[in-house]
Amino acid sequence: MTPDTPLAIQVQGVTKSFLGQRALDDVDFEVARGEVHGLVGKNGAGKSTFMKILSGAQPPDSGQIIVGGTAFKALNPAEGRAAGIAIVYQNPELHLDLSVAANIFLGAEPRKAFGILDDKAMATRATELLARLGLDLPVNQRLGDLDIADRQQVAIAKAVREKAHVLLLDEPTAALNKAQAEFLFRLIRDLARQGMAVVYVSHHLDEVLAISDRITVLRNGRKVALVEGGSADKDGLISMIVGRTLDAVETHRSVRPKTEPFLVMDGVSNAGGLDNVSLEVGRGEIVGLTGLIGGGANALAAVIGGIDHRHVAGRMSLGGEPYAPRAVREAIARGVLFIPEDMRGRGLVMSLSIAKNISLAALRRLSKLGWLKLARETGVATDMSERLDLNPRAPSREVRFLSGGNQRKALLGRAIFADGRLFVLEEPTQGVDVESQRQIHDHLRSLANKGATIVFVSTDLEELIALADRILVLRNGRIEQALSPDRLDPERLLSAIQTQSTRSVN
Amino acid sequence: MSSPAATAAKPASRKPGALRGQDLGRYTLLIVLLLIVVVTAIGNPRFLSVNNLLNILFQVSALGIVASGQTILLIAGGLDLSVGAALSVAGLATALTIMHTGSVALGILAGVVAGTVIGAINGMLVATNRATPFIITLGTMTFLQGVAILMSGGSPINGTGALFDVFGLGDFLRVPWPVYAMFLAILVMFLILRFTTLGRYAFAIGGNEEAARLSGIPVRRIKIALYALSGLFVGVAGVILTGVLDSGLPSMGTGYELRAIAAVVIGGTPLIGGRGTVLGTLGGVLLLGLVSNSMNLLGVGANFQSAVLGLIITAAVLLQKKA
Repeated sequence: MTPDTPLAIQVQGVTKSFLGQRALDDVDFEVARGEVHGLVGKNGAGKSTFMKILSGAQPPDSGQIIVGGTAFKALNPAEGRAAGIAIVYQNPELHLDLSVAANIFLGAEPRKAFGILDDKAMATRATELLARLGLDLPVNQRLGDLDIADRQQVAIAKAVREKAHVLLLDEPTAALNKAQAEFLFRLIRDLARQGMAVVYVSHHLDEVLAISDRITVLRNGRKVALVEGGSADKDGLISMIVGRTLDAVETHRSVRPKTEPFLVMDGVSNAGGLDNVSLEVGRGEIVGLTGLIGGGANALAAVIGGIDHRHVAGRMSLGGEPYAPRAVREAIARGVLFIPEDMRGRGLVMSLSIAKNISLAALRRLSKLGWLKLARETGVATDMSERLDLNPRAPSREVRFLSGGNQRKALLGRAIFADGRLFVLEEPTQGVDVESQRQIHDHLRSLANKGATIVFVSTDLEELIALADRILVLRNGRIEQALSPDRLDPERLLSAIQTQSTRSVN
Repeated sequence: MSSPAATAAKPASRKPGALRGQDLGRYTLLIVLLLIVVVTAIGNPRFLSVNNLLNILFQVSALGIVASGQTILLIAGGLDLSVGAALSVAGLATALTIMHTGSVALGILAGVVAGTVIGAINGMLVATNRATPFIITLGTMTFLQGVAILMSGGSPINGTGALFDVFGLGDFLRVPWPVYAMFLAILVMFLILRFTTLGRYAFAIGGNEEAARLSGIPVRRIKIALYALSGLFVGVAGVILTGVLDSGLPSMGTGYELRAIAAVVIGGTPLIGGRGTVLGTLGGVLLLGLVSNSMNLLGVGANFQSAVLGLIITAAVLLQKKA
């Protein structure tokens, strides 16, 4: 199926493992000059790792990358750039305090005699370049004053200036509105017509289908399909992404009686992107939130969890009482505990012990007049470690020495000890081994069985089906669909998530 | 519901290095201290006399108090460069109050209140602005230096009466009173860090401010409290130094900020916060005192002394980077 045009980049048998886990397994991949090549797969299918290897950010364990006629066992970022590979992330890595022109020419500034920078020549050449790409950007403007879409265009212009002939785009439309996205698609097609090879990674299957000449599907680190963009349809793509798994997802659900609502949201809108959300969640219920990036699942969790206070409209109540926290501690005082996805950055205090992390949100209960009851703290941490099967059972151990699964358990322990009645979690088991994932799911179910309410955001289809009593799919800050996980398979769930993507691509 | 005990607890892969680095830093301090003691004792037998050792403690007492306060700021990821200038202002407040009212008690109160209020203001500025504590307190430091000169009219405010009798001349069991004050300050800070919620919040904020916020800790209020606490220590140091000198001087606190921060960092508290001990700070203070003293006894010139101190501080910080 290879087009007759010469290949811009070719990857042969690339394999990569992390801590014994195969992230990529013998992947072949190629992009011809002038081709737009879509790369799709679930979270954890290996897309990010593959992009890192292509851009030289990580070396593969084996295999090779052939670009510009040279075969590399591994690229480093400098070699990648020299070979003409450029990567543009959804948040381009540019210098916000420099002008548009200075960003485009960074490291290759036109100079006059004695090495003095020639700003005029730089501005002129930047204007020419942008005009050639059909872009209308103020070259002397500080980049930080431009929006994300414009910055992305600057990053692409920079790649063209650097004579890149392979352009990697990672979720480029995640932060763009419809018009911006359409503009980007036109730009990509223009670049391809001029011979640029484009690798397009996205969760938006409609976009990928509309723009790609060919599409590679990754699943569990393997390349499972290479299809022509014109001949593929979304349903076919979805089945390839999900895989026809015969082992149906286990749903250890004990049917809970419908209870009275605990959390009630009525027409809530906010500056985080929520648009008129109404929702009731009962005591003992587990609700999964999902959707495409930027769809509003995380924004909704932030509002419920009491960490986003930029309220615009609507009302919330908790246990019948109005709920409008203006600080995290007010939410905690109401028994609402938010557990972030980013443990290292937002969850744990890595320099402190397991015990001190577990007690952190409820030190009041472990102190009298500001004095800590250290012995009780150790006891509490030991009990909690036992209850959550947290290893090692050494409360004085610093949390940075724990595995990812145990770190998540420590965070959960903190929320439980803080007397949580409503737990709001982001990606509760991301990056966790299978056994820890099962344990964390069990703990959440057991909390729900004891009457706690659980709301979690996940992009893991199996997790949503296995854990949630109800799955809410969000788009544009609205709840678009509520699904029951009973007899729901990952394929249908993914298709529901993707149906939401009505962004037109022409 | 019970889960099988067999969990996949893979101890994180890069565990031992970091710990060893830290211990190395700790032992380095002790080894350097011992080396200085041995070399100086050989070069000048008077070094190990009780009088000289007490003298060293006496000389570092105000520094020890300031550095104790600075320790909790660094643990919380903060920093106060204005403590030297604040010490001068507090000392002058004490001296001026005694001069005008004749009351030593009011003088002490004035100094302590001045230090605490200055600390609280620094804390409010740091807690409500995105600028780093370094820049904010650099500003207040310059401002307070000006205030100190204005307060004093450019010349010393002499005569502190009973304050001088106690802190300048007085001792108990041959140990000068300021030395007791320093050890009390260290003990108080030790207790705060180890046994109080305030201390724990300082560690949490310094270790991960966002995690602290998401745990419901009132981060701003705690920051203000911590700067005020450090300011209280600075005020006490200002009162004591005024007594020692029997006068308030606009330059009495000059250089204290850098020596205090150096002592804290030498003592093992990283500038990025999240960990640290006040006993380490005591070690850092003693190291600075011993080095000055031993160089004096060995007849090393003042300019050379400054260079050596600089080398020690740099070496301590570099060793920490590894840890």
